[in-house]
Amino acid sequence: MGVRVTGFGIVSAIGLSVTENLLALREGRTGIGPMRFLDNSDSLLVGEVKMSNAELETKLHVSQKPISRTSLLGLKAAREAWGSNQHNAELRTGIISATSVGGMDRTEDFYKSYLADNHPDFAKLKTHDSGNTTERIAAELGISGYINTLSTACSSGANAIMLGARMLLQNKLDRVLVGGSDALTKFTINGFRSLMIYDDQWCRPFDESRSGLNLGEGAAFLLLENEKSIGITGNKTIGYVNGWANAADAYHQTASSPEGKGATLAITNALTKSGIDAAEISYVNAHGTGTKNNDLSESVALKNVFGEHVPFFSSTKPYTGHTLAAAGAIEAVFSLLSIRNSLIFPNLNYRNAIEETALEPVTALQTEMPINAVLSNSFGFGGNNSSLVFSNHE
Amino acid sequence: MPSTLASPDYKGFIEASLLRRMSKILRMSVACAKDCISQAGIEQPDAIIVGTGLGCLLDTEKFLNNVLTIEGMLPPTSFIQSTHNTMAGQISLSIGNHGYNMTHTQNSLSFEHALLDAMLLVDEGEQNVLIGAADEAIDFLSEVSIALHLNLQQKLTSGASFFMLSREKSVTSFACVKDTVALGLVTNAEKEISAFLQKNDIPSNGVDLLLFSGSSNGLNAQVNSLLEGLSLEKARQVDYLSLSGIYPTASAFAVHYAADKMKSDRFIKTALICNTLIHSNLGLTLLQSVEA
Repeated sequence: MGVRVTGFGIVSAIGLSVTENLLALREGRTGIGPMRFLDNSDSLLVGEVKMSNAELETKLHVSQKPISRTSLLGLKAAREAWGSNQHNAELRTGIISATSVGGMDRTEDFYKSYLADNHPDFAKLKTHDSGNTTERIAAELGISGYINTLSTACSSGANAIMLGARMLLQNKLDRVLVGGSDALTKFTINGFRSLMIYDDQWCRPFDESRSGLNLGEGAAFLLLENEKSIGITGNKTIGYVNGWANAADAYHQTASSPEGKGATLAITNALTKSGIDAAEISYVNAHGTGTKNNDLSESVALKNVFGEHVPFFSSTKPYTGHTLAAAGAIEAVFSLLSIRNSLIFPNLNYRNAIEETALEPVTALQTEMPINAVLSNSFGFGGNNSSLVFSNHE
Repeated sequence: MPSTLASPDYKGFIEASLLRRMSKILRMSVACAKDCISQAGIEQPDAIIVGTGLGCLLDTEKFLNNVLTIEGMLPPTSFIQSTHNTMAGQISLSIGNHGYNMTHTQNSLSFEHALLDAMLLVDEGEQNVLIGAADEAIDFLSEVSIALHLNLQQKLTSGASFFMLSREKSVTSFACVKDTVALGLVTNAEKEISAFLQKNDIPSNGVDLLLFSGSSNGLNAQVNSLLEGLSLEKARQVDYLSLSGIYPTASAFAVHYAADKMKSDRFIKTALICNTLIHSNLGLTLLQSVEA
């Protein structure tokens, strides 16, 4: 059982399209660097999308302003995923997006002038709520009806894909754009700093010396279609979403359990749902944020599920930074790229294995192996853990 | 100013040490969810689903203020509790639940989307799903509503409602959710409402109780004519915002109210909740009494 993916789009620190992202992944080129757009006085390392709001607004021909950066990034990726598809009265089309910050970037602008009593523009606040972020993307794409937003912190993007697949299987929709978008904000950067898990150096997932994450921004969307829809659109299949699961860790509001309870459940249940054997997983795109806590908990979960035979795995966050609610969607695109191009992307900045688990991620681009099935993990605040299984077969 | 919130004795539901750090929306949600779980007599639901329009506003405002006014290291608590999934996460923590855990945030349709997700899960085979909605008002929201000339007819307030949605009818069941839809960027609400009733085989005289969301927005000219066609006496048409006040997920309150009415008045077999709090968003929920 699988749901067909017939379109994908992405914007991240390593590129403004699927092609650009693939090139950077092949070349092992990171998009993380000192801040330029959000606040150029800060030298913190971030994964910024290399385009200003003004440029994005012009390029995307946005019809109505103000619009948040989160919506702009989302629209860029959603347009690429939607491609040249046409609206059709026969097809129930929906959109499910994920975001953690919504229009916080605009709210910050507003709040600065509000605190300074400097003619604050209250209209900016209309873009604050997460639902508006998705509505704006939907409106620009001409989608109405089922428009929904999920917010489960760092697992949000994966949950949007999961919900979209379920909506198609239960025949509530014929096709659906699923993904996530998050812009960099002072709110989130200072938030992770306050938790003392923001690394001033390059993030080093699965390395013994890891000491935190680098935040990034971006968006990605997949177009999922049922048979009826494909019968009409004639779209080619890029890959399949075969399995999904969501489980609660129920350990701590921000930390993952040391025994990886929620993560183990999510991975196990996603594999079961997919009907694909653990031994057939060619590659794991790990959550791998670079924090002490996540990478250890995730490593333990991988060992719980795969025992001595942990598949090739890597975290792609050293390329993009941790894009929060967009991460699950961005990494879904990377998983599909891995399958389509028979590639395993190396885990940058890795040197030594975590002592407790001794797992070694892939450190050089692998090009010689057929990749049939990929597991993608997304774990977040609030103990929200989700895993997805993608493959090249139904 | 927001009206005063009727608060239970939270200590009966939440440990004092945890309670101290919890914002209004967290207290309301955790207490409400626990009360709901105990009423239903179900120890561990298979899933926990929450809808929230604006999330944890108190902590969001607090942390945003800190970010923009304080140099150097900030206390993390308000950041930790600012994310939209804090309620669902805290509920799972408080009862040790490892099931499906989800948070929907589609402004005035967040509750309907959460309910729809819960109904999908039940159709997929889950037995019991805890589903609820919560939003909290902060003083700043009133300021925004004035600055944006929203001309609200009711006060802005806070609220939380939780329900246990079960696959099988039991002795504790008191209403059945027949159907729900959440439609965004709607241009013809009247047509959508008619289609919804038709799909559920409800004739124009088949609705016994109608709950609607005020009469201060542009949709209501269309909607009113349709609702008048339901030929309901005035007492059976209730503006639920006049009872709950305004918050993005107030339609969850309406579902609770309708279910209570069904319990006390056995002539109410079918209730329709029509949510047009934001004029381009249409939420419809159809409840039936368990005997129906």
